[in-house]
Amino acid sequence: MAAAPVSGPIVFNRDIKPILAEACLNCHGADPGSRKAGLRLDTEGGLFEPTDERRAVVTKGDAAGSLLWERILSTDPDEVMPPPESHKQLLPEHKELLRRWIDEGASWQPHWAFLAPERPSTPELPPLATPIRNPIDALWLARLTEAGLEPNPEADRRTLARRLALDLTGIVPDPAEVDAFVSDTSPDYYEKFVQKLMDSPRYGEHRGRAWLDAARYADTHGLHFDNYREMWPYRDWVINAFNNNQPFDQFIIEQVAGDLLPNPTTEQLVATGFQRCNITTNEGGTIEAENLANYARDRVETTSWVFLGLTANCAVCHDHKFDPITAKDFYSMAAFFRNTTQSGFDGNNRQGANANIVVPQTKEDKERWAALPSELADQQKRLAERRESAAPVFEQWVAAAGVDDAGPDVNPDGLVAHALLTEGAGNEIGAVCGERMTFKATGEVVWKPDGRIGPAPVLTAASTFDLGNQGDFEKDEAFSYGAWVRPAGNGAFAGIVARMDEDNAYRGWDLFQHGGEFAVHIANAWEDNVLKVSTKGGRLQAGAWQHVFVTYDGSGKAGGVRIFINGKTADVSIDKDSLTGSIRTTVPLRIGQRSKGQAFDGGSVQDVRVYSRRLTGEEVASIHDNGPLRAMLAGEAERRTPEQKAALFEHYLVARDQPYQELQNTVARLTSEQEAIRGRSPVTHVQQEKADSMPTAHILMRGNYDQLGEKLEANVFQALHPMPAGAPKNRLGLAQWLVAADNPLTTRVTMNRVWQEIFGTGLVKTSEDFGVMGENPVNQPLLDWLAIELRESGWNMKHMVRLIVSSSAYRQSVVIPAHKLEKDRDNRLLSRGPRFRMDAEMLRDSNLAASGLLSPTMGGPGTRPYQPDGVWDKVGMVEGDTRIYKQDTGENLYRRSVYNFWKRMAPPASLEIFNAPAREASCLRRERTNTPLQALVTMNDTQYIEAARVLAEKALQSAGMENTNAIIDFMAARLLSRPLRPEERGIVKGTFDDVLSHYRAQPDEAGSLLSVGETKSNPAVDPSTLAAWTMIANQLMNLDEVLNK
Amino acid sequence: MSLQDDFIRYETRRQFFSRGKNVLGWSALASLLGESMTDKLLAAGAPGVQKPLFPHFAPKAKQVIYLHMVGGPSQMDLWDHKPVMNDWYDKDLPESVRSGQRLTTMTSGQTRFPIAPSKFKFSQVGSNGLWMNSELMPYQSKIVDDMCLIRSMHTEAINHEPAIAAMQTGSQVGGRPCIGSWLSYGLGALNSDLPAFVVLVAEPTNREQMQAISSRLWSAGFLPGEHSGVSFRSSGDPILFINNPPGVSGDLRRRQLNGLKALNEMNYKLVGDTETHTRIQQFEMAFRMQSSVPELTQISAEPDSTYALYGEEAKKPGSFAYSALLARRLVERGVRFVQIYHNNWDHHGNCGGRMPFQCKDTDQPIHGLITDLKNRGMFDDTLIIWGGEFGRTIYSQGGLSRDNYGRDHHPRCFSMWMAGGGAKGGTVWGETDEFSYNIVKDPVHIHDFHATVMEMLGIDHERFTYKFQGLDFKLTGVEPSKVIRELIS
Repeated sequence: MAAAPVSGPIVFNRDIKPILAEACLNCHGADPGSRKAGLRLDTEGGLFEPTDERRAVVTKGDAAGSLLWERILSTDPDEVMPPPESHKQLLPEHKELLRRWIDEGASWQPHWAFLAPERPSTPELPPLATPIRNPIDALWLARLTEAGLEPNPEADRRTLARRLALDLTGIVPDPAEVDAFVSDTSPDYYEKFVQKLMDSPRYGEHRGRAWLDAARYADTHGLHFDNYREMWPYRDWVINAFNNNQPFDQFIIEQVAGDLLPNPTTEQLVATGFQRCNITTNEGGTIEAENLANYARDRVETTSWVFLGLTANCAVCHDHKFDPITAKDFYSMAAFFRNTTQSGFDGNNRQGANANIVVPQTKEDKERWAALPSELADQQKRLAERRESAAPVFEQWVAAAGVDDAGPDVNPDGLVAHALLTEGAGNEIGAVCGERMTFKATGEVVWKPDGRIGPAPVLTAASTFDLGNQGDFEKDEAFSYGAWVRPAGNGAFAGIVARMDEDNAYRGWDLFQHGGEFAVHIANAWEDNVLKVSTKGGRLQAGAWQHVFVTYDGSGKAGGVRIFINGKTADVSIDKDSLTGSIRTTVPLRIGQRSKGQAFDGGSVQDVRVYSRRLTGEEVASIHDNGPLRAMLAGEAERRTPEQKAALFEHYLVARDQPYQELQNTVARLTSEQEAIRGRSPVTHVQQEKADSMPTAHILMRGNYDQLGEKLEANVFQALHPMPAGAPKNRLGLAQWLVAADNPLTTRVTMNRVWQEIFGTGLVKTSEDFGVMGENPVNQPLLDWLAIELRESGWNMKHMVRLIVSSSAYRQSVVIPAHKLEKDRDNRLLSRGPRFRMDAEMLRDSNLAASGLLSPTMGGPGTRPYQPDGVWDKVGMVEGDTRIYKQDTGENLYRRSVYNFWKRMAPPASLEIFNAPAREASCLRRERTNTPLQALVTMNDTQYIEAARVLAEKALQSAGMENTNAIIDFMAARLLSRPLRPEERGIVKGTFDDVLSHYRAQPDEAGSLLSVGETKSNPAVDPSTLAAWTMIANQLMNLDEVLNK
Repeated sequence: MSLQDDFIRYETRRQFFSRGKNVLGWSALASLLGESMTDKLLAAGAPGVQKPLFPHFAPKAKQVIYLHMVGGPSQMDLWDHKPVMNDWYDKDLPESVRSGQRLTTMTSGQTRFPIAPSKFKFSQVGSNGLWMNSELMPYQSKIVDDMCLIRSMHTEAINHEPAIAAMQTGSQVGGRPCIGSWLSYGLGALNSDLPAFVVLVAEPTNREQMQAISSRLWSAGFLPGEHSGVSFRSSGDPILFINNPPGVSGDLRRRQLNGLKALNEMNYKLVGDTETHTRIQQFEMAFRMQSSVPELTQISAEPDSTYALYGEEAKKPGSFAYSALLARRLVERGVRFVQIYHNNWDHHGNCGGRMPFQCKDTDQPIHGLITDLKNRGMFDDTLIIWGGEFGRTIYSQGGLSRDNYGRDHHPRCFSMWMAGGGAKGGTVWGETDEFSYNIVKDPVHIHDFHATVMEMLGIDHERFTYKFQGLDFKLTGVEPSKVIRELIS
């Protein structure tokens, strides 16, 4: 609650509103559900207008005659306000303020944050030594001098170099750059240094990190299994956006509605990941509608906190008690987010259940990925054209064609079974098994006209074919078999042609669909006495006819098995090569299943052939090229059905028409190129609007997903400005509304958080709450100036950051004289420079940078640096795929913390201890606690110990073993950007001598300390000396000054 | 000059005001420094230090050990005896009993709801003739006179994540502080060398249906972060990073920290930031923890009689028995709130096969813990709580036989018990219908339970609030809740 102002006129928003909010609005506020006596004190009318039942609550200029004052003073427990049962009390100074306010005329203001900011006029200032470098300084000094304080002098250049580097890049500066900065005599030395830091890619990593807290970015789904979620392209997009200084309004629009922009680019789609960063579940037993309601609620809350600084979450169950956000407002905004294709379940897998895109990473891949769809479409079109132009040629050919025109069939020697499966009707098929025979299907057969040769049967679990005792081979006999095959999908595991006994350890042989591959088993017993060979690279094409043939040389080795696809040898992998026993079995040869099940459900098969010899490659190619043709051409031309003729045409195109074949090859090549890029690229979650419905949502009564209230169209909060004219009623309209010129909040909220990042606390401390219960700005003219400057500079974020770090306000020294501690304890008025304990990531990264270990590599999958054992598996579910923490090796141990793999149920342990959030919900303001557990991290964590040792090694290398002062200065320059003062050095030397004599006496201990971390210590350096210096580096790394910015 | 005196000398209005902005300044400080030191500050008249608001009235208990059985133990197989159900074997649960109750999607597709009577042997024990599963809990059946059993607990949540959150934080929505954090914040620490709130995650013997247990369950939510539970690990360092790196002895660390302290004091004189003194204190406390925690977890020093009480399993780090023993050692050393999680009580299937494992893990150690506390005169100051996040259904999920069955989640009624400081031993509170489906007498909502526990600790739950985002939050939420005085000794 506001402290009592001592003098000057009462300002309603500053002095009175907080008192009313704290003591009264719980029962007399915006929420009609909890409002008592129909009275509200959050509106002008409620305060000043009489009703039929009572006089006005406040009579301007007359406290004694005002109902408000009467009830406050009452001693009757039934009358006095606030009532005793509310546990609220007015302090005497608050009562006095209320009295003065009424007596002074009871001026009233709407809530400050809902009024559009205006650019403040330049204030008049007393003469000051401090230079006014930009309008920030004038507005800052006006407030500071008003409080009777004077600014601190400017800090020395070394301090400023370190401060700038930490604020602009998140890591300590290189000593050489500090020295250059210090000795630069040019007038623009400061601007040049700032520019250099802002041009560094480290800038985006640092700024982006704070945004990722707001966006609740992480690498797992968050609930239940908490499995891996792949969406780091979004994280990299954020970092790039800051580095490229993308105009901030565009940055917002793309994250809220990038998918709804005209012809969105991949980057704009990736940006919508902002909305997919919420936690999701796949827990069995949860209800999809409830999950979706939770997801939408998270999005409204996040949008409201991040862009508007409003705690809309209070309106989930009822109208907001303090701010003008109704439950209707809440669910109207939820409607914007409910018209999407997202499933209520995340599928426990990396790509989530739906709405994700592939994000190629290299320049070549990006270009090819973008070009391939149209290239493919073009080739497909040409294929279609070739069909048309080939038709007359085909007609001419087919009219005269006889069997011999199809080219020679293979020598029929050893053909033990041959079934064409072209009957087209009925439940019987003919086959030649030595002689022509008839076989009945196991059930009803459905025939489809679009077969390879003619009408083809559709196999099901209930309808396959049993060809009797054919193909009874032994493992040392050569044999071959295969067919034209059309699988229904690429997820099945099914027997296509098989003589295999499932009840006898899968003895026998088969051609098998193994998901997206074809496989061959030749087995005595699965899985220790068997050959298994599979195709590679996803060769099985769902819905397409492929000729698949297997030859086996009788060697008993997997190397003796070949698989041919469309007449050509396929690349295979050998999965099992352990056959020693017999493969003979008594079960029959079957088409479409193994002995009992594993049916080729929904698939079709034609021209099944089994040979008791090993066919050559030429023979298999010949079957592919000519077999079907011969079959079809064998009949009389005039008796061919249209289906048979169509099939003949298909086969003609594939087997005999060279232009068509070439086009087909091109399509195949492009498709496999596309698949290869897909295989090596990450996916990322994106937001995707449903195309065929309007955004609507129901009010959920008391927030319960199954208690539907009124159905609402999407809309923005009614108490704020209207949507821009012509804005669509979807997320794009919402985005336009967020950045509209008359939005009073977005620019203020944005700049307030930038201020918070740099000065530790925002101009409004409650950076997530600009509402009535939030803090009033400590310097509203300054906040408003920043907000307007952001918009008028074209939302130029680097410009804004540059202005702030160039100001005299920023450049002050941090020394705290006693009177400032008294009057500006928390440095809210900036009577001194910013000094506070750094965020977790800055601490880790800076220590790595000081030691030289920090890797500059950007982007990519989350990294897994040092972490104590058991942090993940303690919280992980047995089935989860993030249960075991597999620590990285090499460079990834030393990447920036912004790239750390973020498991929501167990965030990086050493970062979490320093208040890094779990990223389960949007975090706009980290806590900054100081606990003993933090001291344990910087004293003992492997990454800090290793960095200390590497820093010590570098110091010894640079300064020599004996030059104690130079060694100390080397380390201090890297950690503090300054040399130690003589008295500090004295203490460090004292510790060093002490520790060194200890290690000299205990060389084993020195060796143990030096073994910490993956990098090896330099064996040429005396271990006791290096260990002692390691402890000194560790001591310096734990200095308060090092832990602070 | 002692560290405390040193601290008092340097401590300024700044820190006290920054903590004193909420009325719990004293408590927050106590949690950081320990009670004795804060008393010194008060005695020294340090400016801004407020007398604690808590306890509101004389507490019945000072410390808590909360045994949370994760997954939702089956009340009718343990504490809520329903002999009539034997006649209902494989008959359908009457629709009138179920009456539109929300089901999880795991059984909402079931066409039948066949009743599965408990296969276990119940008998009457204790001076109040309590019926309980004495077959699987022979040890606990000897101490029911110390227990205050509630058979009429109920909650709204029906799935684990939200239900555990509700049981621990009072709200199904994430991000709220858990009960241990509330009490750490309100009552502070009793020992400046150890955290006020410690969590132990016990490994069950059987792991068929584990649920996720993560640090969000012991999060301080919007309360200051130091009130988060500190999870003691059963393998590796008991507290993350508590041990010095290899080759660094405690003595060497002390000498290094002496230098660090001197350097920080120089910096303080130059800059005048009182945070620097907080930092010095922070490192000193870390150092004290480094010496006290390893001693605390050195259970090898326990005599054989301890293992006779808790069972030999207590020698195995990470077991429930080990955790129970550690809980006693923690409470003995002044830790305010010890939370033990024991997993795998989610008996959707194979309840008959798995329940013996669950009880074997916990039965003797619970008896051992209570007996041990009594022997040491700590029982009357320590409140022990046992329970899960919801109950289970009388009807079977999946296959049903006389010997085996599964049970789905059931929020409408479940059983919990308390013992020790504040809990009225020998009480049996609340009744469910013959199907253990609906409560027929004296319901206790989880918020009522929270209110009652706080009352035992001397806190009026209505007045124990924390302002966050403009609202006064409390553990017991916004709906009215009540203290069940009949449960309090």
